[in-house]
Amino acid sequence: MSDRELYFRRRIFFAAVVALFGILTVNLFVMTVPQNRYYKDKALENRQVEFRVRPPRGRILDRDGTLLADNMFIADITMPASGFRPGRADTTLERLLEWFHLPRDETLLRLLNQQEAGRARLTLVPNATMPQIAAVEERRSRLPGIRVDTRPRRRYLFDSLFAHLIGYVGEVDQADLDTAGGDQDYRLRDMIGKQGIESAAEARLRGRSGIKLEEVNAAGHIVGRRPFWVQEVVPGRDIQLTLSLPLQMALAGSLGDRPGCGVAMSCLTGEILAAYSSPSFDPNLMTAPVSTEQWNALINDPAKPFFNRFLQATYPPASLYKTVTSLAGLQHGVIAHGTVLDPCRGGYSFGNRFFRCWKKEGHGHVDHSQALINSCDTFYYQVGLRLDIDELAAAARALGLGSRCAGIFAEEAAGLVPDRRWYDQRYGPGGWTRAVLLNNAIGQGELLVTPLQMVQLAARVASSGRVPMPRFVADADAQADAGAAASSPLPLPFAPRDLDWLRRTLAQVVENGTGRQARLEDVAVAGKTGTAQNPHGEDHAWFMCFAPVEQPEVALVVMVENAGHGGTEAAPVAGSWLDVYFHQTDRPGLRPVQAPPARNPGGTP
Amino acid sequence: MRIPTWLQPPGDRWIFTSWLLLCLGSLAMLWSVTEPLRGSYEALDPGVAKEVFSKQVLWVFVGYLALLGAARVPLRALEHAALPLCLGMIVLLALLLAVGPQISGSRRWLMLGPLRMQPAELAKITFILAAAHLLGRSQQDSRGLAVTLGTFGLMALHAGLVLKEPDLGTALVFVAIWIGMAFWYGMPGIFLLGAGSAFLSSVLLFYSEWTRTNQPAAEPSSSWAVYTGPWAVYILILLGVLYFARIGIAAKVVLLCLNVATGLGIPFFWEKLHGYQQERILTFFDPMRDQFGSGYQAIQSKVAIGSGGLFGTHYLQGTQKGLAFLPERHTDFIFSVVGEELGFFGAMVLLALFLTIILRGLDVAAEARRPFCSFVAIGVVSYLTFHVVVNVSITTGLLPVTGVPLPLLSYGGSNMLTSSILLGLLLNIGSHSFED
Repeated sequence: MSDRELYFRRRIFFAAVVALFGILTVNLFVMTVPQNRYYKDKALENRQVEFRVRPPRGRILDRDGTLLADNMFIADITMPASGFRPGRADTTLERLLEWFHLPRDETLLRLLNQQEAGRARLTLVPNATMPQIAAVEERRSRLPGIRVDTRPRRRYLFDSLFAHLIGYVGEVDQADLDTAGGDQDYRLRDMIGKQGIESAAEARLRGRSGIKLEEVNAAGHIVGRRPFWVQEVVPGRDIQLTLSLPLQMALAGSLGDRPGCGVAMSCLTGEILAAYSSPSFDPNLMTAPVSTEQWNALINDPAKPFFNRFLQATYPPASLYKTVTSLAGLQHGVIAHGTVLDPCRGGYSFGNRFFRCWKKEGHGHVDHSQALINSCDTFYYQVGLRLDIDELAAAARALGLGSRCAGIFAEEAAGLVPDRRWYDQRYGPGGWTRAVLLNNAIGQGELLVTPLQMVQLAARVASSGRVPMPRFVADADAQADAGAAASSPLPLPFAPRDLDWLRRTLAQVVENGTGRQARLEDVAVAGKTGTAQNPHGEDHAWFMCFAPVEQPEVALVVMVENAGHGGTEAAPVAGSWLDVYFHQTDRPGLRPVQAPPARNPGGTP
Repeated sequence: MRIPTWLQPPGDRWIFTSWLLLCLGSLAMLWSVTEPLRGSYEALDPGVAKEVFSKQVLWVFVGYLALLGAARVPLRALEHAALPLCLGMIVLLALLLAVGPQISGSRRWLMLGPLRMQPAELAKITFILAAAHLLGRSQQDSRGLAVTLGTFGLMALHAGLVLKEPDLGTALVFVAIWIGMAFWYGMPGIFLLGAGSAFLSSVLLFYSEWTRTNQPAAEPSSSWAVYTGPWAVYILILLGVLYFARIGIAAKVVLLCLNVATGLGIPFFWEKLHGYQQERILTFFDPMRDQFGSGYQAIQSKVAIGSGGLFGTHYLQGTQKGLAFLPERHTDFIFSVVGEELGFFGAMVLLALFLTIILRGLDVAAEARRPFCSFVAIGVVSYLTFHVVVNVSITTGLLPVTGVPLPLLSYGGSNMLTSSILLGLLLNIGSHSFED
């Protein structure tokens, strides 16, 4: 090789090397300077994963601070949706199925369904047990992407005891998202209150979910370096109810398994002390996956366990309504305390119809008090005829009938108090006669009331209208959170001496009238029985009472469906509950709830 | 304190200093790779054991001894032993294919007690020596083309055996070394033009077909009927270049035929490739088509280097490395760790060290009096250039992913030993430049 040739080849070699290194340098510069931001974002995207942290739901306590509902955490073993490829052999998945003894077909079907639903993570083992969780944690380096996720689950500590009042939570559905309106915080699979207090106080109980950025490694495991809260979790706030656990247990115990309900209310504070609807259901079933058979059994139960009989159900008030008719008659001067009307001969003829009294042989000559004590229909037919339908309706409304009185429950019924306008609309002007007054006067016909309205009526009669609106939630704050209007009831339009007379007469009902079975040895009880005609079957038994007569502190309504006579079926239930109230408790009707709600917001995220 | 002379290799200070700095750099980067990311409680998954660092310390020491030895070995004796050594290595490679242990699907390694050795790495040395011997001897009696073709055959034998293991990356190293040495010998430029244009032709054809169908996964072989796009334009340009080129008409025809033939031959070559090799080439053109599979390495490596910026995330703090997004971060992709943690400037320093060795090696090759020495030196330079350029190109997404380690930097004994011996030879030759 000549020196010139060598020199030439050396130059070419040199040029080639420099050119190649030049290309590398330019490319490196382009990647690290102009494209630096792009790659930095990619690196961040790689390692930062956004986690949404559900807030722990506020707990529910009774008036003494006893926990009624709290949260527990359940763990699911989850895998990334991208890691599940149906139809392909997957050794990791096979191993997991084996370790956790999972039924193969069922699990694969569930994973497939979840993947098709577009979930980012699939639940491999729902409700994992401690050994299963430990198994995952031990082997996590060999299980890329497999993770234990916890989620809070609602727990109702007294099963069916408070089911209708507290309600239950369930997964958010489309209807909930629609009604949630502007609240963007709800995601599918979140829990939302579906009934009762859970639904009424949803805003307070829920809190707000947080968003956290976590650094993960290539296997998808959180490495615990610099978690960053984009948005802090706001835990739901606790809520304290006015209900008393022992009184609720007494009520449920007295009612037994008969379909019906009872509500007790303080005549001083308006606080609801017990409210039970029978038959009840276990709300814990609503937060867990339930088998189809279990669910069908609940749904198709002819006794309708989901039906809230003190809030949703409406019945004719029957003879309980005679108190209203009496007060209206006295208010408008059509009768006095001792008025004696035409004698009862087992009924009353009006127009071409004969209106029966419940007592076939008749009550004979009775005065106003005797008529109420013995619940004489004939007497009240005549009082009704002396009144205008609007006068009677106004008296009923003044006592709280015809409108929702708790105000916070979406499911609460308003009942119906028909007046002239209502009949005109229904039958057309002149399409109805004064005969409707006869039915209205004894609480039948179109009249409909809820048991809650009737206990409020009893408490208002007992307190001469001074009792506040019924309330289920202890502090005013929470009451407002639950959406209750801060309205105080209007004063009663009845004369104090008329109310006095009514209370004394109602005491006679229990002392030696139809309500004798609610009598207590040492406490004077005032009450009224009722037997609501039921076209579909046996009559509904009503009993409404308050005690003590001199200084009433507690009112109670009991209703037993298809049971027959109120005096024999409902009054004993009331009697046994009152016995517990006066002899086994510190009489919580006397004072409002004092204890502030417990601090602990319930669980940790 | 004076370092005893027997511990100092003779020859060029620049080359030895660069070797030393690169070895220290390797230890520093491997320490970083095996160190958990500060503040994380999760063990790296999958992690690189600390053992990798301590083993590399040992390898650097072994490499140093090898370098000293190679720098002092009598070159004349080496030339005499070149052909026997090469033949022995070929036999070893063949035996390895026949009876070698199969480790993760390939027969690359030889088990020597607890150590794993890649004979193909040492074969690079024996090939360089044998080829240099053949080329150097022929320069004295000038038998031209026959010797060029002879060394080509030797190279093809090596590459073929290594390709069978299979190890595409190492096979290509032999090609690169041969091209460098043959060019130094005086291979006509037309050969290089022919080879280069044929390669370009096949790539363009592949690329145009791929972009046309944009369905690389389905059935590449069945859709090769229509050749269009950039390849057609390329052939037209080639025709123009050949028309004006001052070469014989026969050469022009041969060149054109070669280009068309490689184009037409691509489908058959494609069929010969292994599934994973096809996948890697397809993924090279579109990394996202398999972003969790073979495209994953390419993407994550680019993200590591690009996110490093000018100055890097600082030593020990790279998240691509530290959170295990970067695969093979202690071996083939160690350059990505340098890019991520030390940035553009760190990468430049690294490239500068390699460039120093390469350019000084070029001087050594040019100044060597004996042809054998000159060819050995240029072989070493070609080896180093290929490894560095291809490895960095792979990590920066300029070439498809193939197993080519970064000399001295990547973890591994065979790599360290081969590179150190070759650099030792370079020092040896440099210290005898003016002897006959």
